Amino acid sequence: MTATLDPPETTSSQPTPAPPRRRRLRKPRRPAPTPHAARPARPAGPPTGPDTASVVLSSAFTMIALVCLWIAAQMLFLGALSENRSQELLYRQFRTELAGLTAPVGPVVPAGDPVALLTIPSIGVEQTVVEGTASGDLLAGPGHRRDTPLPGQVGTSVVYGRATTYGGPFGDITQLQRGDKIQVVAAQGRKVFTVTDVRRAGDPLPQPVADGAARLVLVTAEGSGRLGAITPDNVVYVDADAPKGYPAPPGRPLAVPDSEQAMANEPGAVPLLALCLALLLAATLGVVVARQRWSAVLVWVVAAPLVIALAWASTDVVMRLLPNLI
Amino acid sequence: MKRALALVAGFLALALPAAALASPAPPATNSGTAPARYAAVPHIAAKKSDGFSDTKTLTRQFVNTDGSTYSFPSHTVTVSADKTKDLRGRQRILISWKGAQPSGGRASNPYGENGLNQEYPVVIVQCRGTDDSSLPLKQRVRPETCWTGSIAQRSQVARADGEASWIHDLDATPAEKERVSGMDPFPTAACPNADVPPYFTKLTPFVSAKGKTFAACDVNNMPPEAAVGAAFPPAEVAAFTDLDGTGSVQFEVRSDVENESLGCNHDTPCTIEVIPIAGLSCDQPSSPMSISDKACRKGGRFPAGSSNFANDGVDQAVSPSLWWSPSNWKNRFSIPITFGLPPDTCDVLDPRAPTGFYGSELLAQAALQWAPAYCLNKQRFKFQFNNMSDEAGWNLMEAGGGVAAEVSSEHEQRGANPVGYAPTAVTGFSIGYQIDKPDNAGELTDLKLNGRLLAKLLTQSYLGSDLGRGHPGIGDNPLGIMNDPEFIELNPGLTQISQEAGATVLSLSNSSDVIEQLTEYIAQDKDAMDFINGKADPWGMKVNPSFKGISVPRPDWPLLDTYVPETDSDCRKKNPAVYFNQIAAPVTTLRKIAEALLDAWPNVQTRCDYDPASGLYKLGRIDRQGYGTRFMLGIVSLGDAARYGLRSAELETKPGVYVGPTTKSLAAAVALSKQTKQYSPFVLDQADVRKSATAYPGTMVVYTAARLQNLDQEDADKVAQFIRISTSEGQKPGSGNGQLPDGFLPIEKTGVTAKLYDAAQESADAIEAQEEPPSDGGDGTGGDDGGVGGTGGGIGPGGGVTAPGVPGNGEPPAGDGASPSATPSNVTTAVQMPATSPVSSSLAGGLLPLLLLLGAIGCLVTLALKVAGPAVRRRR
Repeated sequence: MTATLDPPETTSSQPTPAPPRRRRLRKPRRPAPTPHAARPARPAGPPTGPDTASVVLSSAFTMIALVCLWIAAQMLFLGALSENRSQELLYRQFRTELAGLTAPVGPVVPAGDPVALLTIPSIGVEQTVVEGTASGDLLAGPGHRRDTPLPGQVGTSVVYGRATTYGGPFGDITQLQRGDKIQVVAAQGRKVFTVTDVRRAGDPLPQPVADGAARLVLVTAEGSGRLGAITPDNVVYVDADAPKGYPAPPGRPLAVPDSEQAMANEPGAVPLLALCLALLLAATLGVVVARQRWSAVLVWVVAAPLVIALAWASTDVVMRLLPNLI
Repeated sequence: MKRALALVAGFLALALPAAALASPAPPATNSGTAPARYAAVPHIAAKKSDGFSDTKTLTRQFVNTDGSTYSFPSHTVTVSADKTKDLRGRQRILISWKGAQPSGGRASNPYGENGLNQEYPVVIVQCRGTDDSSLPLKQRVRPETCWTGSIAQRSQVARADGEASWIHDLDATPAEKERVSGMDPFPTAACPNADVPPYFTKLTPFVSAKGKTFAACDVNNMPPEAAVGAAFPPAEVAAFTDLDGTGSVQFEVRSDVENESLGCNHDTPCTIEVIPIAGLSCDQPSSPMSISDKACRKGGRFPAGSSNFANDGVDQAVSPSLWWSPSNWKNRFSIPITFGLPPDTCDVLDPRAPTGFYGSELLAQAALQWAPAYCLNKQRFKFQFNNMSDEAGWNLMEAGGGVAAEVSSEHEQRGANPVGYAPTAVTGFSIGYQIDKPDNAGELTDLKLNGRLLAKLLTQSYLGSDLGRGHPGIGDNPLGIMNDPEFIELNPGLTQISQEAGATVLSLSNSSDVIEQLTEYIAQDKDAMDFINGKADPWGMKVNPSFKGISVPRPDWPLLDTYVPETDSDCRKKNPAVYFNQIAAPVTTLRKIAEALLDAWPNVQTRCDYDPASGLYKLGRIDRQGYGTRFMLGIVSLGDAARYGLRSAELETKPGVYVGPTTKSLAAAVALSKQTKQYSPFVLDQADVRKSATAYPGTMVVYTAARLQNLDQEDADKVAQFIRISTSEGQKPGSGNGQLPDGFLPIEKTGVTAKLYDAAQESADAIEAQEEPPSDGGDGTGGDDGGVGGTGGGIGPGGGVTAPGVPGNGEPPAGDGASPSATPSNVTTAVQMPATSPVSSSLAGGLLPLLLLLGAIGCLVTLALKVAGPAVRRRR
């Protein structure tokens, strides 16, 4: 919409009949729940003609900046908080289950439940692995791919983890060296894996896993170049072997849905996103109405936490629509 | 009539080589390893010819009051049977006779007690025991060991002296002439109604195989298999002799599976007793003659050749009821029969795990005879054949669930492994029928059908009954095939009284190569295709609109009709159903169709039962058809048709030429079939059949199909062994273990079947060799889809992927050159693994930079406007 606006010079020299109509259109967006929006807004009402274009432009770019920076901030920083919090809760839940001998051994575990505790001392990773590798599952920590045995069981188990966003639990695994140890604690006991290689596209697959042995494949994404830290675009694998695995119960699913494969997203979250955006819109309208009755300070105090919470939740949903390994 | 003879001759032609070939050395399969009592079976089969024939002179005699003897003119009767050895349950054998006294008062249904009211019939019953007076009583055949399904057929209970003619039998002992006789002591307690003076009673008790005696005086003293409405209709028959003294009947034998009390099996010898009723011979009468003396001397009320539709009473002395009376019994012809091994022999005698072959039911009868030749020989594997649709068997074989499939056409290969086809048996399908000629003139023995008639039956275009009249578009069609002018022209002289069963041919509900070939036959018939595509036949019959333009050939025949008739019938209102589908009611196996034909029991599901207690209606299968009015068609395998003695229709090939299934017509069809490439099946093009005047369109070759690669070597050896044995000793016609039953054309090294033989040996060699495919690295584990391909060979159900059998070239798999010393696995030889396939996402890479860039631009522009805006205003 901003692209249709006339250049500022034109609008300021001769007021066109269009602005009033645009003003009405723009009005709901202007008192956005931010300090930027409050400043240009005058208590007396809408701005007068000559100011309109610059105000509209300014608001639009403010919005763009806000939305983009908020999402980026949540992916890089706020999401880490959220992941830390989830890990804390999952850790507590899992240690209770381990102590109570109720930790899951498969073959089918509800998505999102903790299934193993993964420790890599050499790069300082300690994460509780949840079941499921959909983008939404990986927000809480590394996820176990559901068509493979649980970590520590006989066969090849696969664990996905985010590289950059939401704490980036697997961001450093590409630094692992052959011989590094990975410790897994799961329902059946403790298992130490030895890293055999870090595998990228084109490298040969590892030798087939020996009878009775266990293999752990950690999967994440990595970028290259100067901005490599924030451009994780290629999938990378870390293979680690243990000589003897715990028995794996039969009956695992033979495949996982598309949304749980590497670099996949969850298109199913779109309706939820629509709902979140609708709530945001409603909150914005609420702020506009409230501003006409109450003082700015009061509205600020009441609306800000609500809007931040909504924005946070919306971004979580947006994350589910993005590739799961970033 | 000529055609009927040709048909019978065809079956004999299949049977006679059996007799001829059975004599050279018994199959090596059974020597030594099998238990002795089983080993005996093929030897018996080998010694004698399979048929039976005997001649006797029968004379009825009266002793006059003065002591002189009066003899009626003698009848020299010859009885013959076509098969007597290694019979199987419900098999029908053809018994024929000539020179007998012509019968009178012909019953419409000669079986069981319905056949009692006839005069001078030929009674045929199945009995346990051998007809040899030197044997102990227990092994001898007696009236007490003969099976009848009802009391009236064996005992005369509380008869007035006008119906007690047996007490004057010339050949009877004094004890048998008593007022009550038949058992000593007489079971007065068990049979309170039998010993009622002054009435006469003669019991013919039944002695079961286990030695239990049933007094046969009332329903409580009969063996369990004789219960009312027993599972099987009666087989014993009082057959009719025509005016020229000849007659024939297809007699159904029962093994101990069907009739445990009678108890005939592979080691209990049995006989079929054929007793032409010539009338009782009577002893010297009292003077004046008593009523019973006169009864004994009666000669019949019905003229020879007449019918007794009303089931009127007949003269007892010439009726079949007294077949057990000594002067009738001595006229018997005893046809000794033996039974083959029961179908569960292998399960009982061989504890080894069976190797399952899965597929076409066409092979069922052959597999039944072949299986004991494998399981009783410890040098061979335990062969087990499992019937299922060709497609299901094929899929099992491809997926590795079964070692081999039995199919009869080329199937689409879905797996990676090539499959070889080995011809195993030449047989086919036919349209079996059970049709009675009108006016009690016996069974129809020749039926002609063409493609359009079959298309009419399959497309549900006959109306069945007036219920179908309301069907949109075809309300003027004939009710059944018997009313169709085209059928009448082709098969004149049949009844035109319609029956629902005449609107359908009982068919298969599942997918089958048989249906594929049948529809291919229809597809090559221009008239039939015109009909299916909507053109009315010359008599104005139209195709059912639901089937109009249906694509043929197809492996399964769907039920597409949706017409639910509107009627006033409460039952139909409460159970609305698609009427034509109730009539068609296809079944899942060819054997069910064969048995339905054998029992003349159509699978038409339109019978309505009302339960007054609950007030509910129930739809179900209609009753068996009455003898004399039977009319039923069904698709059967030639093996079943031969075993059960079902008649097969002749199918049109060239216009006006009709060909039935015979050895010759099967061979002619084999000659037409072609193999396109090695290990592939032979294709019988129905277009060629239509040009030939001799080939039978229903000819099908059953192939053993097995994978040429990646089949377990042990299994591959078994399959190859099976192919070699079944194409050599398994092709010797005969009824013994391992031999080829009737209904199959032997595959031989010479003649038209030589190409099949050669192809079978080639495929057997290839299956046994299991040559590895040219190596191309991993076998499809890597890179088939983005997500899984990334982790490649590591992910597999069951927790581990075994190394592919491709020897590697020694290159270590690691990325940086060092050997995988840290890999604590016991894989000693490195195998070459496919490369990790790339998975990437440009969205994942570009998202964060884009967000940050956009955010920065937004901030900058906003800032610029904040700064520049007031400045611009101020300037103005």
